[in-house]
Amino acid sequence: MTSRRWLVVLLCAMPWVAACRDTPKAKASELQKLAETRKKELERRIAAADVHPDTSLPIAMWMMPSQLREISGLAPTSRGTVLTHDDNSGRISEIDPRTGILVKSFSLLGNQKQDFEAIAIAGNDIFLMASDGKLFKFREGADGQQVSFIMFDPGLSKQCEFEGLAYEADTKRLVMACKRLLDKLAPKEVLLYRMPFPLNRATITALKVPLQDVIGSNKWTKFRPSDITIDPITKNYVIVASQEKGLLVMTPDGDVVRSGPLPGDHQQAEGVAITNDSILLISDEANVNPAAITLYKWRP
Amino acid sequence: MPVLKEMIDVITMKSDRPVRRLVAYYAIVAVVVFGLAYFFPLQIARIAAKGLGDVPEGPTVLTDALSSSPTASVSFGPGSLPDVALTTVLILIGALVLILPVTWVYMSARPSGGQHNQNVVQTLIFLPIVVAGIVFIVQNSLALAFSLAGVVGAVRFRTTLRDSRDLVYVFLAIVVGFSAGVQSLAVGAVISIIFNFVLIVTWHYDYGRNMLMPTASAQWSRPLQALASPTGDHQIPDRDLILSLTPENAAALADRFSRVQKAVGSKKKKPRFDSILTVTTDKVPEAQVQLEEVLEAMTKRWSLDEIVTNTGKPSEIYYLMRLKKSVPRDLLLTAIHENAEGLIASADVETGAQVEDDKGKKDKTDGVKA
Repeated sequence: MTSRRWLVVLLCAMPWVAACRDTPKAKASELQKLAETRKKELERRIAAADVHPDTSLPIAMWMMPSQLREISGLAPTSRGTVLTHDDNSGRISEIDPRTGILVKSFSLLGNQKQDFEAIAIAGNDIFLMASDGKLFKFREGADGQQVSFIMFDPGLSKQCEFEGLAYEADTKRLVMACKRLLDKLAPKEVLLYRMPFPLNRATITALKVPLQDVIGSNKWTKFRPSDITIDPITKNYVIVASQEKGLLVMTPDGDVVRSGPLPGDHQQAEGVAITNDSILLISDEANVNPAAITLYKWRP
Repeated sequence: MPVLKEMIDVITMKSDRPVRRLVAYYAIVAVVVFGLAYFFPLQIARIAAKGLGDVPEGPTVLTDALSSSPTASVSFGPGSLPDVALTTVLILIGALVLILPVTWVYMSARPSGGQHNQNVVQTLIFLPIVVAGIVFIVQNSLALAFSLAGVVGAVRFRTTLRDSRDLVYVFLAIVVGFSAGVQSLAVGAVISIIFNFVLIVTWHYDYGRNMLMPTASAQWSRPLQALASPTGDHQIPDRDLILSLTPENAAALADRFSRVQKAVGSKKKKPRFDSILTVTTDKVPEAQVQLEEVLEAMTKRWSLDEIVTNTGKPSEIYYLMRLKKSVPRDLLLTAIHENAEGLIASADVETGAQVEDDKGKKDKTDGVKA
């Protein structure tokens, strides 16, 4: 083919290529359409779940991308989205659970590598907790941004291995769930630490709930919390335990409201959150199945 | 490919200089990449610099495992099927585009008279494509990496390369493949561009030539003396020559030696020539005129032996000559440099065994006198 013919072919192809231009604006418009469709579909499923007696049926299950293979904590935002993170990296992702769109991701400055276990939002501040109880406080960042942070050590690393964190807005305090007591002689109980703002080691208090109250009629021998959240309507503590595949609801005073198996089938439930419109979200790490966030209709 | 060659010819005005042709190629690639980046900015950003760290990726659509409707599956985003396919195609094409000029440099920038190995050329083209594919599959998965190590461990990939420099090209091919595989083609592009230009420049200036390397005459004088010993005490027996030579070889050697005999002169006289002048130049005819003026004035006799025309680096002119006793080597070289200033790149004189012997005898006499 001569150069002239090539030129003609190229000129003819230009408008077609231009029409396919993959700009962020074009992508955003396409995304908007998809989000609307998905929202409608989810509303239809929620309506169906409202009339269905079985609460263990999921209404959606969003499969996580590779950067969230070891998804851990969940923290609902005021926008209706949730913040989540990977176990090994300080990379925070925002996911809209109604549309299944990963909206953005940002990281802690210097791509911190810690054993991050939980996340909570307290006003404008976000807290990421490591398994030794250290808290990393930072502000929300834009997509791709690295944000600076302040680290607070509550000095509880010798008492507990932590896995759950939640913010109790009414009393303005952080609630930390202890997964495993490091003192082998400690009594069998579920232990929560509560830290009012401003954070100070001296003001930390413990809430201990006897294990037999938590277990109730279940066949568990232990209850090792893997995350905690606050029910936005009742203000009760909702705790999930990955190994027992159990769910515990208790009042802030430590009275057990109910305990039982997790809804659905969860290989490794690492995070829990409840949205303002009563959707329960449970995150699972990749195990036999890929990592996912599963949505259920929440009935307190 | 002919279109690409035509475009390079247009840009370089049909120049044969490798540097010009490389610059033209990279200019064409840059234009195409900028064009693609204009139309598909997200795709190009994803393959050019994704592996370099946390770059904004924009929104990602997650799959709903509970639904089989089209909106549940990912329509776009890093995990979608068309997107993965497109990214794979782009990284493989990218790897090919980056390795092509490396193969040209490999084929062109050979030592004088050295032939390139066609197997290596083809390996250079295939290797980055395979490596890119492997790395693209393996990245972020330790399990896959271990599986790959197991699979590759079962495949024997060993070969002896004739030239150790070939290995460097193979390494570069692997680097380009890796950069494509981790979607950081920008890194691969910079590495391959700099590699090509450094290689062309070192080849052009013959960088690293050992100045203490024995001259051609010194290299050959001993075996030739052994072969042509007048006492008949041959270190290389005739029967060995008979076994090692074919009739064609023997005829070719006979022709060559008869030509050499004519140049050397008759048996009873001293050799007609005792030195070789080697000159490198870009302007052969002009340099010849100036050189021959000097040779006419400063040598007993001289003869043009050979002109080796090189592409992309200076041509070489070889003269056979017999030096006058009154004209030392350095004086001749100074005169050549003065007379052909600006026309030649380098000049060197190699002296033969006869001159070295005479010099040795003279030194001995001087020592006795002292």
